[in-house]
Amino acid sequence: MKPLKALIISNATVGSNKLFQSNEHVSYDIYKVTENFDPDLDGYDLLILPNGATDSVAMAKIKHKVRAFLDEGNALFCFSGWFTNWVPGNRWIMDNSLKTSEVRYFKKYDRYDLLKDVDIDGLIFSHGISGWWACGYIETAPGAEVILEDTLQRPVVIIDEKTTRGTIIVSASGPVAEVTYGTTNHSPSMQAISALYRNFIAFVQHKKQTSYEKENRIDL
Amino acid sequence: MKKKIGLIFNGTWSHYAFAKAPKYRDIYQLIYIHDLTFDKIKDFEAVVIPFQSNHEALTRKKQIIYDFLAGRHSATGKKVFLAGDSTTEWLEGRWEDRPVNNWWWVTHPDQPPVTQTNYEHPVYQGLKPRHACWHTHGVYTEVPSHAEVIQTNSEGEIITWQTHHYGGTLLVTTLDPIVEHGIQQITHLDNYCDSLTAWLCGIRPTGKFEILKEDYGIDAFVETEGLRD
Repeated sequence: MKPLKALIISNATVGSNKLFQSNEHVSYDIYKVTENFDPDLDGYDLLILPNGATDSVAMAKIKHKVRAFLDEGNALFCFSGWFTNWVPGNRWIMDNSLKTSEVRYFKKYDRYDLLKDVDIDGLIFSHGISGWWACGYIETAPGAEVILEDTLQRPVVIIDEKTTRGTIIVSASGPVAEVTYGTTNHSPSMQAISALYRNFIAFVQHKKQTSYEKENRIDL
Repeated sequence: MKKKIGLIFNGTWSHYAFAKAPKYRDIYQLIYIHDLTFDKIKDFEAVVIPFQSNHEALTRKKQIIYDFLAGRHSATGKKVFLAGDSTTEWLEGRWEDRPVNNWWWVTHPDQPPVTQTNYEHPVYQGLKPRHACWHTHGVYTEVPSHAEVIQTNSEGEIITWQTHHYGGTLLVTTLDPIVEHGIQQITHLDNYCDSLTAWLCGIRPTGKFEILKEDYGIDAFVETEGLRD
């Protein structure tokens, strides 16, 4: 399959350039936010906003561009809390009402098998400590599908293929990446995070390929 | 009420969550890094630069920070608090990355990431050792000759230091109090952040860290929002 072309938008936080390395499935470019923030999204299949390195002030300025990018059939991953409403249809809300010791995650709905080989306990516990992964919860758009929910049955990982013509996959600020940096060195947690990320990439890559083949099919 | 402290903010949500919490929102004013000018910070008593800042942008704007520290346009020098990582491009001191250990208190509770603290420093006065360190983001392997060391780790590497050399007081640490308090996964950070706030501006915040739902999902961040007159 053709590798995805992904653009990472980063606020230049230390370590954010270490989370993603180009490979046979995806090729990454990094765009760092500056005063003149206006990224060209043309030619990319996937937009990635990494955990801890997402600038929600900057992203609010290009929310219409993000929407147009998605309506062209492309994909968005956001793994950091977004306090401005630049993610179409879905709102992230910070919340501290659930004690970290009481945080658990549960599979809700997973028709695309995005949790395949993901040990959910790795997301719940790092070195036996729970509540280290996601923060707050997501108020979902109508038609968005909840993949993981927390103890209070609030969405923490969702996929939305209805709000736009593209694919939105977001977490409630739970880090998802090829590798972890600084967040944890707990092996089950690192495996869960990278397995989840690989599944997201494989899903988008397959969907893009299918769409490409459909568009280019010659009817006999 | 006029806000006392400017919080240089990278658009990241942890900075936002901290400054929007009711117990801090009348004291801290978010200043978006890409809009930072001297005029926007000159009237504050102190400036905070948290962990997860954009040090490339800070390097381009470093004179603004040093002018503020020196008290240009005021009678005396001001206070600047810098947390987390940094770069020699704008700071006289060499920061080096190290693995972060968030779990020492479970696996090795007798081996905290900070082993020496000067509890005479006003930010640390009255803090228990557990409140004075939760985890660190790297170390300083070099600090300026005019710096005094406040905290070190078991290897003798520097975690926190301070200098009055630039006209005001620059307090630097690889702890990350603002970011972690915004994230709300560590429950004791009111102790550090409230002492820090009191040292920076003379006001000790009180009450619990609360989050207002209406602060999330906003159309756009507007820097002048809030109570600053």
